Amino acid sequence: MTVTLTVNGEPRTLDLPPQTTLLELLRERLGLTGAKEGCDDGECGACTVLLDGAPVNACILLAAQAGGRAVTTVEGVHGDGGPGDPHPLQRALVEHGAIQCGFCTPGIVMAALAAEPAADESAIRRALAGNLCRCTGYQKVVQAVLAWADDHHERERRGPSA
Amino acid sequence: MAQTTVTAVRPRVPARARGRADGAVKASGRARYTADLELPGMLHARLLLAGRPHARLRSLDVGAARAAAGVRAVLTQVDVPDVRYGMCVRDRTLFVDEVARYEGEIVAAVAADTRAQADAAVGLISAEWDDLPPLLDSEAALAADAVPLHPAWRSYAIDREETRSANDCAHVTLVKGDVDAGFASAFAVVEQSFATDMTHPLAIEPHAVLADWRDGAVTIWTTTQVPFLARAGVALTLGLPESAVRVVVTHLGGGFGGKCDFHLEAHAAALSRAAGRPVRLVLSRAEEFVVPDLTRHPISMTFSTALREDGTIAARRARLVLDSGAYASHGPTASEIATLMAVGPYRIDDLAIEAHTVYTSRTPAGSTRAPTGPQLCWALEQHTDALAARADLDPIAFRLRNLVGDGDTGPTGQRLVRPTARDCLLRAEEVMRAGGGAAPEPGWLEGVGFAVGTWGNVPLPSGASVRMHADGSATLVSGAQDNGSGAAVALPALVADVLGITVERVALVHQDTGATPFDYGSLGSQTTFNAGRAALAAADEVAARLRADAAERLGCAASEVVLQGGRATAGEERIPIADLAAAAQAAGRPLAAEVSPQPPERPAEPGAARSQGRAMYSSFPFPAYYCCAARVAVDPATGRVVVRRVVACHDVGEVLNRPGAEGQIEGGVAHSLGLALSEGAVLDGGRQLTTRLMDYRLQTAADVPPIDVELIAPRTPGDGPRGARGIGEAGVIAAAGAVANAIADATGVQLRQLPMLPHRVWAALRDAEAAS
Repeated sequence: MTVTLTVNGEPRTLDLPPQTTLLELLRERLGLTGAKEGCDDGECGACTVLLDGAPVNACILLAAQAGGRAVTTVEGVHGDGGPGDPHPLQRALVEHGAIQCGFCTPGIVMAALAAEPAADESAIRRALAGNLCRCTGYQKVVQAVLAWADDHHERERRGPSA
Repeated sequence: MAQTTVTAVRPRVPARARGRADGAVKASGRARYTADLELPGMLHARLLLAGRPHARLRSLDVGAARAAAGVRAVLTQVDVPDVRYGMCVRDRTLFVDEVARYEGEIVAAVAADTRAQADAAVGLISAEWDDLPPLLDSEAALAADAVPLHPAWRSYAIDREETRSANDCAHVTLVKGDVDAGFASAFAVVEQSFATDMTHPLAIEPHAVLADWRDGAVTIWTTTQVPFLARAGVALTLGLPESAVRVVVTHLGGGFGGKCDFHLEAHAAALSRAAGRPVRLVLSRAEEFVVPDLTRHPISMTFSTALREDGTIAARRARLVLDSGAYASHGPTASEIATLMAVGPYRIDDLAIEAHTVYTSRTPAGSTRAPTGPQLCWALEQHTDALAARADLDPIAFRLRNLVGDGDTGPTGQRLVRPTARDCLLRAEEVMRAGGGAAPEPGWLEGVGFAVGTWGNVPLPSGASVRMHADGSATLVSGAQDNGSGAAVALPALVADVLGITVERVALVHQDTGATPFDYGSLGSQTTFNAGRAALAAADEVAARLRADAAERLGCAASEVVLQGGRATAGEERIPIADLAAAAQAAGRPLAAEVSPQPPERPAEPGAARSQGRAMYSSFPFPAYYCCAARVAVDPATGRVVVRRVVACHDVGEVLNRPGAEGQIEGGVAHSLGLALSEGAVLDGGRQLTTRLMDYRLQTAADVPPIDVELIAPRTPGDGPRGARGIGEAGVIAAAGAVANAIADATGVQLRQLPMLPHRVWAALRDAEAAS
């Protein structure tokens, strides 16, 4: 089976067994190991990636279902300075001490990016409810996302010339 | 007894860099975890599990599997040395040896070119079984006429004094004073029983191992919290010298005790040897629930406490039955801790506490984060509230009357120095009462509860070396393992501070038994306490050399030299540290030191000999204290409990890294709330039914309320680095008990089974109503 899709802006065409999941495609065929396999059952959120901008659990999506669509993984997330420059959200997570073991972090980054950038704590908590974290108790994660969202709003408010 | 010197100088706490050192690589997705690693020619391993709780293997045929497409190796117990292993009791083998004693016991392991081929080959293995009656109830297993789960138990080697009987792999006691006399003169006696369900450590990263055997030696990348213990396990079970086994951990995706034992490393290593290729084994989530032998012990507890008329506790009897599952693992140590937790941070002169560590036919328990802590604290702190009610005192006043104070003695006679239990309680109460929060929902009942406790810092050996390079940068080689807490990755900051250079110029080499000195690994909240001391001691030696060399060049005394900002300074004179380092290297006297400092001596315990079975925890040495306060709302119509707010107050000694310490406590509290309200395995005939994360429910970001962390100023001399103590475990202990007491405050009803699921709360309310 041939699947054509865009991964982090790059067009890709792959020949795959039909039962291949999107997570297997990313991790095993493309070597993009940022998305993690924590449950293979759509329950932990460690494999969260964006499909046309919406968060999905890559472990329970067939690669074929991503055909013709745009996939963004954590490897495609960066700041204005290009790859290697942390995205402001990633910077906020590091600075707020929101990362411990880090296994769930790539999924949290993707879920938070996809959330409505409404700087409201309960909305952020709901947006992250599909991403399990055993280390942090979510406090510093939520604080980091809130801080990033506030900055984001502030920049939007001031406009591009500010 | 060692006396710690309290220096007049306030400890220098290194400035925090912008987040932890491994933060950026983890946020970017570039951090490699074990399951991300691949080697050329790598095979994929899968396991055949027993799938039944207790059965004799009548026949096992792996012929078809060995002949299947892509299969490179199939191993069973006959293919490995006939050796038993185990942390406290050597009671198990790598593969089923005649009898399977739990559903997740490994029967065979397969390595094949692809995972699908390995899965298919597992399906071709033919195992025929004669089922045996499973031991499902720990109390029944203790009965004199119970069938022994391990008929050969007497022949198993143990690491402690002999206190065993057939299904009780450790009978542990804690005895102080004269308990009969204490009860004889009692004004009142309160007796209560509690029980907890089995729970799981549940790191989000499943166990993974990549083994590469070549030329008689093996390198193993693995998800272990204990690299050196894993190395010892591989060496023992495969008959190798430890020097032929190198255990490496890349980033570890959480542990919580679930990765504390040696388990799957030898299976992957043996497959790699047999196949002549690297082999990677990654557990599925369902396997995670049943295979690794480290669940949290289900415990049945009965406390009987005698009160004096003045509202003080006179004496306590307690009987604890820990369900260890099929093998002992860390169970005997857990029983030691449980007996201490049954006393709690209270002044009690007359004690008779006992714990049984019982074999049953289910996935073995181990040392999940603060083993037995949350279970015992949840039960004991409800019991404490019941005692307060009996003494006609409010819970705070009763605790203040009974919590240990300066000079009191612990259960084995350890003299306590300025314990901070009362400080923690008072601060938690103050912060909780001051806080606002949303108004109660109509029809819901609100309440506030408190739980206080203590936990130890175990002095253990740990080694480190510090090497300064010619440009004045340095490398710290530490035995420490970082389970994700950041305790090990924070060590370079301590070294940089001592050497007077920036933290960015200190590299860390760790998590590699081929490179580092010995350390016990990330267990027992010991990394900061022990590995931190080692890193500081090595850095101190190098700093002393720098000062001596600088003093010689500057013509002053070494004591006048200050190392700061990359320079050695004495008065107006200064030399770049890099110049000193380059000169030392050129002179063939490189600036390097490797040390494994003597652990601080444990406090004297004149009464220890009266208790039995205590190998590791005769007391909580260097105790830390904490108090958790919770405010909850209970819907009496459904039994649903919502936690509105948590205040967690801890004495962690001097704080080296505030966000790091807070993060440990916040994560511990969330874990504890899961234990309180949502986490609990459901078993049927020894088999777990809840092996998906939909069924075994962790707390989510939407469930966890705001958590206020309060770190109180320490009042006791510190024995760890810069006066710091461990905080990896204490945070998980008290929230479940605080929630239970808050539920009782709201409803007037105590809960006797953990977790406090809605149907249990609802039934308890209904029963109370029917009784009134």
